[in-house]
Amino acid sequence: MNDTTADEERILRVWTPIILRTILVAAIILLLIGLLSTAWQHPGYYIERFHRLQKYGHPQYRDTIATLVAASLKGEPRPIMTLGLMVLTLVPLARVAFCFLFFLKERDFTYVAFTAYVLIGLVAGVILGRVG
Amino acid sequence: MVVLLGLLTLAVGAGFIGALSGLGGGVFIVPALLILAHVPMQVAVGASMISVVATSAGASVAFVRDGWTNLRVAMVLECATVTGAVTGAYLAGIVPPWVLELLFALMMLQSAYFTVTKAGDSMVPRSDALAERLELGGRIPAETGGTDLEYGVTNVPGGAALMVVAGLMSGLLGIGSGALKVMAMDYVMHIPLKVSSATSNFMIGVTAGAGALVFLARGDVATVIAAPVALGVTAGALTGSRVLPHVNVQALRNLFVIILVLIAVEMGWRALSGF
Repeated sequence: MNDTTADEERILRVWTPIILRTILVAAIILLLIGLLSTAWQHPGYYIERFHRLQKYGHPQYRDTIATLVAASLKGEPRPIMTLGLMVLTLVPLARVAFCFLFFLKERDFTYVAFTAYVLIGLVAGVILGRVG
Repeated sequence: MVVLLGLLTLAVGAGFIGALSGLGGGVFIVPALLILAHVPMQVAVGASMISVVATSAGASVAFVRDGWTNLRVAMVLECATVTGAVTGAYLAGIVPPWVLELLFALMMLQSAYFTVTKAGDSMVPRSDALAERLELGGRIPAETGGTDLEYGVTNVPGGAALMVVAGLMSGLLGIGSGALKVMAMDYVMHIPLKVSSATSNFMIGVTAGAGALVFLARGDVATVIAAPVALGVTAGALTGSRVLPHVNVQALRNLFVIILVLIAVEMGWRALSGF
């Protein structure tokens, strides 16, 4: 694992940070837009939501991505923030995907299998959350 | 605005202390939300899990190959942590809050024990048969002028079993379980402490990501709390890691242990009175 190859350099050192950083910045921008628009446009809504959460807990919102995008485009803060959180979870997903590509490139199939298991586990989490 | 600023302040503080103690923000933000902001346990867990993903993403985007992280060890053990985290996050939607609070108290005590006993390395020069087959051994980067030091890895099944528990706790409680991960690698698998810490940091984001995906897909993340908490904890953690080299961490160790034990007592008390 310590013999650095050119492929490893390219995949791990160059591409991974660029793409992960882009995803992270996109998530932060979405979260900030959502938060700032809530704080400035609907300050009452934020406090009301917070107190409802304290009292009754969180009601489940199982919006589809299409609904979230449509509501975000209308400027609704909650869907914008939810999309931001979803984009944020793409960071670890992308990181594992890069490791998968790296081991595939190295033709190290034992580790391709390990990484594939982790990727499948992450996707299984989404399915389990949807049906659970 | 006051509520929002209050949440941001709590989150920045938790991230800052999490970075200084090396235990991560999740360990501190869950009790802060529960005890100081009076939000229900499940809401605190969902928000904290997202903040662990954010902190890990923010801290280690530049990383990947720092010379200390053992990518192969991380990948083998992530199979265990992701299995645990997905199961834990699924169960978090079912089990009553007092069980989560009791488990949290136990994890606090484990973190306190880890903080007290974190001593040094028990390295082995050679890997055992399974670790050898998986080529898990590695080399510690040399100090200036020296040669790289080779280390072996042992007891992969034992380490993986503990990693399932670490993942389960991560999914149930919204924490990174870094202390448990480092203990598994250092004590059980005899991986050098610094390699264990770096590898654990790499794994935390993926473990918490697995749990966060379950929570998000289930629609169980309270966005109005998770968004400021994620941003605040990350900002606090980044500031903490900048301050860290200029602070005598050893002197703060006793303070962290006291805080952890107090949180454990409060969480344990809540659990028992809610039972």
